[in-house]
Amino acid sequence: MKPFFNIAVGYDGSHDAKVAARWAMEAAKDFGAVVTIVHAMGLREHLHPKYATGVTPPELIALARECAFDESGLHWLVSDGDACSVLLRMASPPINANLLVVGSRGEGKREGLLLGSTSLEVTEHAPVPVVVVPSRHVER
Amino acid sequence: MVLVINETIDDSSHEDAGHPERPDRLVAARTAVDDLHLGDDLVVVPARSATREELVRVHVGNYLDELSAYCYSGGGDIDQDTYATLNSFAIAKYAAGSGLAVIDELRRRDDGVGFVAARPPGHHALAGRAMGFCLLNNVAVAAAALRSQGERVLIVDWDVHHGNGTQEIFWDVPEVLYVSTHQWPLFPGTGSVNEVGGRHATDRTVNIPLPAGATGDVIRRGIDEIAGPVIDAFKPTWVLVSAGFDAHREDPMADLRLTSGDFAQMARDVSDFAPQPGRLVLFLEGGYDLRALRSSIHASLSTALGQTYDGESSSKGGPGTEQIERMRQARRSTIELLHASDDEESTR
Repeated sequence: MKPFFNIAVGYDGSHDAKVAARWAMEAAKDFGAVVTIVHAMGLREHLHPKYATGVTPPELIALARECAFDESGLHWLVSDGDACSVLLRMASPPINANLLVVGSRGEGKREGLLLGSTSLEVTEHAPVPVVVVPSRHVER
Repeated sequence: MVLVINETIDDSSHEDAGHPERPDRLVAARTAVDDLHLGDDLVVVPARSATREELVRVHVGNYLDELSAYCYSGGGDIDQDTYATLNSFAIAKYAAGSGLAVIDELRRRDDGVGFVAARPPGHHALAGRAMGFCLLNNVAVAAAALRSQGERVLIVDWDVHHGNGTQEIFWDVPEVLYVSTHQWPLFPGTGSVNEVGGRHATDRTVNIPLPAGATGDVIRRGIDEIAGPVIDAFKPTWVLVSAGFDAHREDPMADLRLTSGDFAQMARDVSDFAPQPGRLVLFLEGGYDLRALRSSIHASLSTALGQTYDGESSSKGGPGTEQIERMRQARRSTIELLHASDDEESTR
């Protein structure tokens, strides 16, 4: 198996997304990988952008410090699209992520439903391995 | 010339408080039709629901089942943009069926122009997924029905967002030509000039991505110079328009600078692509500023019906003109590369 050198994580600011980002940073330390954290900018977000490209959210910088993850290996992106398409795009050039990481449930989603499940859609269509991190995951 | 529109159904229960895709949009659309004062030249066809057989031409059966179950269990947010309520599936099926009803009437008359004022909109809906406010792809359901009857369908999508769903559904379908003008970069992130269609339909997707601030003259030039020759060669028998009006300068969802006058001109241009009367249908997609929506629909329908429009002037002078020639060349290079790679494979 080839080593994972670029891990991409979908991020919407939710609790589950933070848990997924933390898992990715911990894993990246083991693999010696960089982590690309991407926020999908939805249609409505044009009215009130939540994040900006080039400005890594402070909570992610704090998370990197907590995990003792080298911040120079942390890349932040904002990309137009829905959460599933944007994360899938990370597996193509120019990012070429070879591992995708997603939280089990995004903001405002109803638990247990298949429709609208980003994690399910990503696992169905991804050309690279996908890790779905459960919301109650804690590093041991 | 008559205007054929669909009967209004009660769509008030497909609503999410504060969401821009809201029932008032259809009120604005209907008011725009009233503004035309067509009298007996307005034909209202009974609304009807699209059947499962009509929907599965473009949507995956499992997706229809999931969407139906999701709605009947009470609905909720499907993604960060898209919602569904208890009645959304039923309302969406009426939206998809409305296009079919309007087309049947136009075919019967061999005259007139169709306007499908229904919601939720459709052009972001993928074969197996809702997104971007869209549940079922209304224009795709209509185009697929026409295709099944042996027609060659041109879809012109002038919504400010790329119609990724429609593009995906007809990606490798040679009988459907998809032409989109849209702001780029912008949601949904697709719609590059290099997306030209699948292996069996190379050249059947034409994307004209435009920078923020682009004006009507730039869009019209793009359609004329990039899409025009492709449309002429394609020789459509029907023309469907994904008529979103969120490229209007007053619309809050994007940054193009069009006016109602530009939509009037584009509708006139597009009606020239139809081979005969009764073969042009406009489908409402986006458009979230109600005043701009009303005036832009009124402008589009006026010129599509052959009337003069003397409202808001057209816009010009925005950025993007210099990119048109580059886009044309990039598109040609992509198609040549794809053909070369096909030739290489066939000689192996």
